[in-house]
Amino acid sequence: MDAIARITTELNGRFGADIKGEESPSPARLFVDIDRRALRAASQALRDLGGRYMVGIGYDEIARNGTLGLIHTFAFDADHLVVVLRTSAPAADPAFDSITPDIPNAGWSERECRDLLGMKFPGHPKPKKLILADDWPDGVYPLRKEVPYNLEPPAAEDVAYELDEAPPGTTVVPVGPFHVSLHEPAHFAVYVDGETIKGCDYRGFMTHRGIEKLCQTQVSYNEVPFVAERICGICGSVHAVCYSQAVEAAAGIRISRRAEYIRTIMLEIERLHSHLLWLGVAGHLIGFDTVFMQAWRVREKIMWLAERITGNRKTYGMVLIGGVRRDITPEIRTDIEAALVVLEKEVLTLKNSIIGDGAIHRRTKGVGRLSKEEAARWSLVGPVARARGLGLDARKDHPYAAYDDMTFDVPVVDTCDVWGTLVVRVLEIFESIGILRQALAKMPADGPLLSVIPEALPPLRHAVSMVEAPRGEAVHYVITGEENRPERWRVRAPTYPNLQAVPAMLLGNQFADFPIILGSIDPCFSCTDRVAVIDAKSGARRVLGRAELEGMSRRPEAGRSRS
Amino acid sequence: MSIVAIFINIILFLLLAPLFDGVMRKITARVQSRQGPPVVQPYYDLFKLLGKERIVSARNWAFRLAPPTAFASILTVAALVPFGSRLNALGGRVDAITLVYLLTLGGVAVLLGALASRNTFAAIGASRETVTMVMVEPVLAMTLILGAVRAKSFGLGSAVFGAAGAGTSPSTLVMMAAYLLALQAFVAKQPFDISEAEIEILEGPFIEYSGPDYALFRYAMMMKQMFYAWLFVAVFAPFLRTGFYAGDILAQLAGTLVVFVVIALVGSTNPRLRIDQAVKIYAVLILIALGAVGLAVAGM
Repeated sequence: MDAIARITTELNGRFGADIKGEESPSPARLFVDIDRRALRAASQALRDLGGRYMVGIGYDEIARNGTLGLIHTFAFDADHLVVVLRTSAPAADPAFDSITPDIPNAGWSERECRDLLGMKFPGHPKPKKLILADDWPDGVYPLRKEVPYNLEPPAAEDVAYELDEAPPGTTVVPVGPFHVSLHEPAHFAVYVDGETIKGCDYRGFMTHRGIEKLCQTQVSYNEVPFVAERICGICGSVHAVCYSQAVEAAAGIRISRRAEYIRTIMLEIERLHSHLLWLGVAGHLIGFDTVFMQAWRVREKIMWLAERITGNRKTYGMVLIGGVRRDITPEIRTDIEAALVVLEKEVLTLKNSIIGDGAIHRRTKGVGRLSKEEAARWSLVGPVARARGLGLDARKDHPYAAYDDMTFDVPVVDTCDVWGTLVVRVLEIFESIGILRQALAKMPADGPLLSVIPEALPPLRHAVSMVEAPRGEAVHYVITGEENRPERWRVRAPTYPNLQAVPAMLLGNQFADFPIILGSIDPCFSCTDRVAVIDAKSGARRVLGRAELEGMSRRPEAGRSRS
Repeated sequence: MSIVAIFINIILFLLLAPLFDGVMRKITARVQSRQGPPVVQPYYDLFKLLGKERIVSARNWAFRLAPPTAFASILTVAALVPFGSRLNALGGRVDAITLVYLLTLGGVAVLLGALASRNTFAAIGASRETVTMVMVEPVLAMTLILGAVRAKSFGLGSAVFGAAGAGTSPSTLVMMAAYLLALQAFVAKQPFDISEAEIEILEGPFIEYSGPDYALFRYAMMMKQMFYAWLFVAVFAPFLRTGFYAGDILAQLAGTLVVFVVIALVGSTNPRLRIDQAVKIYAVLILIALGAVGLAVAGM
């Protein structure tokens, strides 16, 4: 019995009366419409069947039928299948049972729907603001259609996020919103006893750019890939490919094999870049700047290579719906192959000096421990999961682009700590080099770079697409729209699930290990901060002059009132 | 002559400490495939900081007093050490314990400033600094005690030159190993730059300091580094003696430079340890140093 039959039988058997519809547009996707009464039980059932929670998506259908829609997605990695659980509730009473008590990773998705669409989740263990600014007015839900994309509500004074209660006997060390070990604004309140971490609260989403809202209201289908690429400065192609794949799946567009190969090549170049960048940052985070500098010196060669192929060192601008924009010519192919030879040698030297360095072992082994069971419970993805014995990799589990033609290993270790994430990433660099060589060798010689796309794409089709970013699996969910742009586009970057488990990884570690534990998931705050409406300006309306700022910095009381 | 020597000491320390720091930065940069700043960069840094506005973020006397105290204590150390292998007018009147006290005073001043600045990160830095002081200072004390035991006097000259003055012995070699291992901790470089740890606690004790106050701390740190590098040469490299004052000074400076090269190489090829890991290593160092003194007492 195949997976779809097994799952539908189970769901129909238990929730037959509540299931309103099932469709399976491809053997790899199953959409189930269910009454909200059964949402929590059905989610539990899917988890028990082996489903890994990916992301929750909320959308506004008030104008169409007066409801708010909620979607939970589950990946069945061994069966190469994604199950999408769809439900809805009338806008007047948008309450859904929270599934967070069973599936902790749904916590942020639900809080996001609460903030942006005004849904309610009775039973949620932490119903606090996640995304909206603290002074955002109540009752304004930015992702609802009636709210304009450029709404700027007035700023309010004296509103602040209420941090979680500190455990007794601990002091709060504020890491952020600006701290040298964070490359982007985020606030971690770390509760320490001496130097031992006893807890942690996170308040992020400080640089919201409102990308999803913008793309649902302002730009057209084929402009979105360029915006998507700017979600993240490091995994830009990942998001562009993931979005394009989702639209292609929804609209039934087939792209040429050659275009798929070129996408594969760009994704692997991006992985090489990202892993070397991470290796350098990791060295810096444990105070080993020589690793930092040497890894980035090697990384520079990849930047040159990317510029040779695309004209850009980063943010390649290669991907469009229907294919890619530039070809890989025989001359460029020779250049890539030559660069790979040098790269392989350099990375091998780097690997040998890092793997054999006892001092690095001391700083990373046993640090940030999280068991395999916990990792699965938190639905971790990417190297963070693969360092904990979970062999997830969207390239193998849910093949896309040309990965079904490639032979490669997915390195998995079971040290369950920061050291494991380092080993996994270093080994993946060599796998990437191998994939690039195969892709160049096997790439079909002809085929259009861009397929012809129909003038209008069919509206209200749902599709979900996954791409294995260097940091883990990225998920994009697209509902096609009627105005030449997506009706709803939901981006879930790999940091989104991984960051939620960081407090669990920190527990009981030394404060000195905070930077490397957080760093081990390779956090990308810009990826997680992509969603809400522009609010960065609120609160900053009052422009402080130099004299005022100096006065504040000299007044001993300033900024210390909370300690 | 011996009074002139005091001033020569002070001038050499003030003048050369930033240069050695610059050399370390250059070597570190080369290990990291970087061009690196010019070797005179630390002078520019100090001038820049000294020329900046003085911003006092904590209104109490301890916060203001800490930087000059740290600077003055290390300057006094510089004034009285037997640079160029002979005691000057000051050095002849003090003993090894004075030296240890002055160095501790400099450390205490850093702690005082950190605690007075009432910053969470400074407090963490201060607690790490305390542990480091308590655990590393004994190695310095034992080094001087070893000399004192062998020369049977606590005078500064005996303490510094006693260890190897009468020829190399097992106790000297053991102590040399302990001192070398403790060197990175003495000068607060990787793997023992734990109490400043930029990426974790943002320079810890110094986080609230800027401008001239910070310049004094930086300058004091550079001179402290030069002192510890010089002390290694003075204690363990008696073969550098030429018999002439100027020749000895040059020889010791050359030796000091070599020690700085070692510090830079070790520092740039190691990550920072955690304080709990470092403490275990410090404990072993104290035991080794104690063992060396024990050997000396037994006449070896």
